[in-house]
Amino acid sequence: MLSRQRLFWRLHPYDLPGSDRIFLRACRDNCAYHIRRCPGYAAICERLGFSPGQLQTPEDLAKIPVIPTLFFKRKTLFSMPRRRMAMEVTSSGTSGKYSRIGFDWGSILAEAPMVVNLGFRHHLVSARPAHCVILGYKPHKSNHTGVTRTMFGLSHFSPPLGRTYALQMVDGGYVPDLDAVAAALKRLERAHFPTRVIGFPSYLWFGLKRMEELGLQVKLPRGSRVILAGGWKQHSAQEVDKGTLYALADRVLGIPEENINELFGAVEHPVFYNTCRRHHFHIPAYGRVIIRDPDTLEPLPMGRVGLVNLISPLMCATPTLSVMTDDLGYLTPGRDCGCGIQSPYLTILGRVGMSGIQTCAAGAAELLGKGEAF
Amino acid sequence: MIFANGGLLPDSERRAVLDGLEARLNDVRAGPPLRAETVIAAVDALGKRLEAGEFAPLLTQFLPAGVGLEELLPLLRREALEAKLAAELGPDPFGVRDRPRTAAHVLPQGVLFHIAPGNMPGLPVYTVLEGLLTGNINLLKLPHGDKGLSLAALRLLTEQEPRLAPYIYAFDLPSGRREDMKALADLADALVTWGGDGAIEAARALAGPGCRLIEWGHRLSFAYVSGYEDREGELSALAGHIVETGQRLCSSCQVIFLDSEDREAGLAFCREFLPHLERAAAGRSGAGAGAAASLSGHTALLERIVDGREAGEALFRGRGCSVVFRPDRELELSPMEGNVLVKLLPRQALLPTLRRQKGRLQTAGLICEPGRRGELVGLLARAGLTRITRAGTMSAAFPGEAHDGEYPLRRYLRVVDVER
Repeated sequence: MLSRQRLFWRLHPYDLPGSDRIFLRACRDNCAYHIRRCPGYAAICERLGFSPGQLQTPEDLAKIPVIPTLFFKRKTLFSMPRRRMAMEVTSSGTSGKYSRIGFDWGSILAEAPMVVNLGFRHHLVSARPAHCVILGYKPHKSNHTGVTRTMFGLSHFSPPLGRTYALQMVDGGYVPDLDAVAAALKRLERAHFPTRVIGFPSYLWFGLKRMEELGLQVKLPRGSRVILAGGWKQHSAQEVDKGTLYALADRVLGIPEENINELFGAVEHPVFYNTCRRHHFHIPAYGRVIIRDPDTLEPLPMGRVGLVNLISPLMCATPTLSVMTDDLGYLTPGRDCGCGIQSPYLTILGRVGMSGIQTCAAGAAELLGKGEAF
Repeated sequence: MIFANGGLLPDSERRAVLDGLEARLNDVRAGPPLRAETVIAAVDALGKRLEAGEFAPLLTQFLPAGVGLEELLPLLRREALEAKLAAELGPDPFGVRDRPRTAAHVLPQGVLFHIAPGNMPGLPVYTVLEGLLTGNINLLKLPHGDKGLSLAALRLLTEQEPRLAPYIYAFDLPSGRREDMKALADLADALVTWGGDGAIEAARALAGPGCRLIEWGHRLSFAYVSGYEDREGELSALAGHIVETGQRLCSSCQVIFLDSEDREAGLAFCREFLPHLERAAAGRSGAGAGAAASLSGHTALLERIVDGREAGEALFRGRGCSVVFRPDRELELSPMEGNVLVKLLPRQALLPTLRRQKGRLQTAGLICEPGRRGELVGLLARAGLTRITRAGTMSAAFPGEAHDGEYPLRRYLRVVDVER
């Protein structure tokens, strides 16, 4: 699968037109690979009348069968034996159900240059060591979630001096301890090296609100950064706009807005989306985004709100070539941003209310991942 | 948190509360009984304060977004509670009944242990309320994810009427605490469980032989079409019901069964019904309202393809909804959210087919010629359905109706026969 490596080792991460040819080639190869190796995927392509040869222009990408992430929560599809995979990762299972996605060694080889390339581009990489405060899960052998691995991985953009975690495993379950985080931040104010606060935006918000309530304000050393990942998940009801959150971070931590990065990605689509200096997620050359009509799933033109369909030929162990999240969002032309990046940017508006609140139809709770044995 | 004697205690007190619980429960049992009137007066007064908006800030804090109490409030009125008692237990429910040689006294079961699921806000409090109306002591296992609504409601209730305090205990037990769950089940005369198959099975494993099981499990419902009284009106009412409930309720229509053996007639029905469903779906509000329907419909299609079970099916996709013709006859869960299944089920096959789903059957929305209604109602009732309604009102609440074929309050009582 050389086409994939050629795509991911490209040096111009936001040149979409320049990468179209190799992107299409890599998608054709990836699709053909899954059709050969995964009978379930082959059946889907056959029934929906799709074959890789139909991919000739960027518009043709919309023809690839789209698999909702919801599908991967109910069924596991693999295109290689598990012993040949590098690892198996799960989504966070906010709704109670999670996807199981296999990563092949080739996908890791391809991801590495993408992450390094974009890390430099967005000033995440630094040779200066930093203390890490992780507003997320402390890794544990029972935790296979992608977001935990991502946050741990992010702490390596500069040499890590130590890590403090907001969510610790206690008695087999994760328990938040925001007061410990607040104490650590107070201590790190006087450190010689900068601090990197990495984590869920929801926990940053709750943590900073708590510090403000306690009258705790710190001025972290120059060069300190906030890196947000994972979205608001189960706390989406309390979501605040970025401006409010960033102003609070400046007030309580002394980290200015330009030192705050946000990341976007999904276990089913592990492409490294970064915010630009105007806090927009521009589409990198390793992926393409199609917005689809919520009522018909047909592609929508630029600017219209719909379901977010993510396409990338990154993965060989699981057929995630074209996946649809349960997020609603829209695309804006890159030139409207003003940051200089020309590729369109994606705005996520929030999650579709899939599971409703009341369920008592037999089997519905189990299907929606709301089943609880008690 | 733990709720005991009208107050909140931290979870660290759980051991101490559980250790002393048996003695406390026995003390309450030995004392004078709790009268239904005490409960009714307290609930009615609290309901009025709720209606007046006294607790609005508290409710917005605890209720999930988009959920109001509009449906719950009428149930808390004195008239509604008295009507419920009368409908389920008859006039003078707690009076002594004279028999030839005995007198029959009606008493509460004693201690009810309620296990309520988290997907219906208000249900944990409602099940406790049914227990209180019948004079029982109630132990409640709070659902995982109850953010405090139930505890706040129970606290308000006991503040309103302190005499209720000894009759209510609530525990925020993690599911893993089997030992504590077992301890509570051992103290109970009956275990009241709500929820899906998983919850019911777990409850059965928990209740010892001396503890009676009262199960309110999940159900499936369908519409049955055998001719029409008002073709357009009935189909459009059914479509409205399907979209409105999102097919998530026990009483929601999952499958439309047609009294026919003709596949072509089935496909023609799908084509006819789709525009009705589309019109109902177009009435949903909010951006991307059809997204849930499209996602679950498309996911279900892919699942069927991967499982190789899609042969013979026909998919009629509409805007924000779909109608799926399936060639088998089984009652099953649909993909929900406005994606309804259509199957052929001729009258003569109805009873044997539905019997395979015994214990899960709930509502049949019946569409038929007026002259055949009586006969079909009889057939559906004998097949095991517990509610038979018109098509558009499958999920409507009817005053005085039973719960899955039973009157719950009767199950929370027992009869003591005393020889004269």
